Amino acid sequence: MRELLIGLAGSPNVGKSTLFNRMTGGNVHVANWAGVTLQRFEGVLTHGGVRLRIVDLPGIYSLSARDPGERIARDFIIRERPDALILVVDATSLEKSLYLAVSALELYGRVVIALNMMDAAEKRGIHVNAEGLEGRLGVPVVPISALKGIGIGKLLRAVMEVAEGRSGRKEPLRVDYDGLERFIARLERVLREGGLEGYPTRWAAVRLLEGDDALLEEISRENPGVADEALRLREEARRELAADPESLTISSRYELIEELLRENVRRVGLSSPSLEEALDSLLLHPMAGPLASISLIMATFLMIFTLNTGFPANIIMRAMGLGDLADLMESYSLTGLLGSLFDTLSSLLASTLRSLGLDDFSVGLISEGILGSLGTLLSFIPLLLITYMILGALQDSGVFPRAATSLDSFFRRFGLSGRSFFPAAVGLGCSVPAVVATRGLEDEEERILVGMTEPFIPCQARLIVLVAIAAAAFPEPLLQASLMLSIYLIGILMFLISSKLLRLILFGSRGAPELLMELPPYHVPSMRVVWWYAKANTLHFLRKAGLIIVLVGALTWLALNTGPAGYSGDLSGSFASMIGGLLAPALSPAGLNDWRIALALEAGFVAKEGLLVVFSSLSGTPDPVAAIRAMGMTPLRAASLALLMSFYVPCVATLSTILSELRRVKYVLIAVLMELSVAFLLSSLIHLIGSILGFD
Amino acid sequence: MGQPVPLSSLRPRERGRVVSIAGGWGAARRLMEMGILPGEVVEVLSNSFGPIVIRVKGVTFALGRGLASRVLVEVVD
Repeated sequence: MRELLIGLAGSPNVGKSTLFNRMTGGNVHVANWAGVTLQRFEGVLTHGGVRLRIVDLPGIYSLSARDPGERIARDFIIRERPDALILVVDATSLEKSLYLAVSALELYGRVVIALNMMDAAEKRGIHVNAEGLEGRLGVPVVPISALKGIGIGKLLRAVMEVAEGRSGRKEPLRVDYDGLERFIARLERVLREGGLEGYPTRWAAVRLLEGDDALLEEISRENPGVADEALRLREEARRELAADPESLTISSRYELIEELLRENVRRVGLSSPSLEEALDSLLLHPMAGPLASISLIMATFLMIFTLNTGFPANIIMRAMGLGDLADLMESYSLTGLLGSLFDTLSSLLASTLRSLGLDDFSVGLISEGILGSLGTLLSFIPLLLITYMILGALQDSGVFPRAATSLDSFFRRFGLSGRSFFPAAVGLGCSVPAVVATRGLEDEEERILVGMTEPFIPCQARLIVLVAIAAAAFPEPLLQASLMLSIYLIGILMFLISSKLLRLILFGSRGAPELLMELPPYHVPSMRVVWWYAKANTLHFLRKAGLIIVLVGALTWLALNTGPAGYSGDLSGSFASMIGGLLAPALSPAGLNDWRIALALEAGFVAKEGLLVVFSSLSGTPDPVAAIRAMGMTPLRAASLALLMSFYVPCVATLSTILSELRRVKYVLIAVLMELSVAFLLSSLIHLIGSILGFD
Repeated sequence: MGQPVPLSSLRPRERGRVVSIAGGWGAARRLMEMGILPGEVVEVLSNSFGPIVIRVKGVTFALGRGLASRVLVEVVD
């Protein structure tokens, strides 16, 4: 079948992803753009017997190649020469979104403009004359609503026509640059004589006069004389016109856009967005704003937590003397339901395998080792799916950029921007989606930092272990709560401090880039968009981290259940306990020189809940609190263990996510070393201080 | 028409016409491409500590203080 390559470009918040999902139906392939951590989404659809391979380009405001996203989009257009380029613009905010379209048309003629959100524009009294725009720009302009699926067929027909050369521009768009024109003409001559290839000459001349460093560097590699001449002409233009050439070119593009809109847009009876103003005056208020943002997002996450594990509602109910109700909530939470499902499956599989005559080792390996790790993997799914849905809804509604704005000055003290608030908050649920959420960070350095330091924030799995340790060591609820609160405060503090320090060490002293972020209008999030987003990200996690989690899980089972004498099914004679014996002396500064604790920490590497499983099977009691007491928990040892357990190492799922997102083994190693040393230092310190004060 | 002042010094509800933007290729260009151009009228929606929030060409932006102080405006009523 014939295949066409189609690029999809647009500024942030114009509905580009919605259109991408609408066209491809979620049939999406994820890869990475070369050399950066940005993801390349590709989808395929068949239209009229032709395969359209659609590449979703990063959301950008221009093609200046200043940040990785812009560079990717520009290189894609220049190097891969798509058969057609779809440019999504927002009909409710054309003045802003047409800038990218005009910039792209100056570079490339095979463009179709998708005039998105036409329905919303009509509702707000904005009437756009698509034919008029089409006549002026010389490329098809198709009104659509990506959200409602209106106009998609027409858009695809226009794409086919452009791809087959039946419509669209033969030559790129010419913007009138007025006083700069004579310099453009001179530089064009220089470029032609210099034998510049691969770029439209006029486009390259304009870009060079604007001071495009990326292009200049590329040209100076092959033809330093041409590059010098371009620099000289830029200086001459600046002197003669008494202005920066880029402010002239940008103004000219906006003048063209204003002219287009004067001719083709009619506004009638604009309604005043009063609800929006009221919400903004709360969320952007200097004092109330951060509080409102934090409470809103925390409340949402507490809801997710309760659905997933029953916490914290179960603790509250226990404290009110409603123990039965708390048990009920835990067993009917998603984690509880999945856990009992897998226990049933595991014993069913074990008895079937046994009746087939398999030996104990094989039965154990398959039903506990492999199926058990699959269970661990699947237990992530509801958590991830729900977290991603909330994440998607907050992003799609416009709340998240406001929260990032109001918290920016706080995060800036630690070398981060307000955008980092989001991955940090997600981390209270689970570190895996939190590391993935760093994609929302515009700055590559900040993304790497937060990807490595975020695991300091205690996740739900650690919370479960923490609750058991606290309950085992302290009878008083107040002391239990103080231990848990201290761990959370230490974790969050470590996240912030280590981000600051790592920025200094890895990237020099430069702070987070200044915020420049659009605050899109509030709207009710679309369930369809939110679902696409959640599904794509969850599947992505399963593909990327799934195999590692199952493999490490199965290996850990082998280490726990086999020893020099072969399969034992008994922890104390296993390889893992031997390793535990070797590692235990390293825990003596923390007052935890005990092979059983070392063994539990080994198991906790796969998933932190694994600690409780090991304690239970070592002590032979299913109750985790009693199992921890059986390890001899004094308050001091409990505090030390709580610190060690919370920070000693991110779990396997988190580490494989860090690797797949940041794509450098180095960053995974830094994350591990950093956590390991903090955990050892803190737990040894508390043991030392406690011993001096006379605790044991 | 008074002396040009930094955008970061405007109070909420005040509007300023952009006179010039200080800074190199990076910052100034980024602002201009988002529509914060010389001659354009910018309305300040909120300004306390932290980023200031502005409206320009019908779009709302949050703008770091450092960036906002590079944008010189003359106050208009």
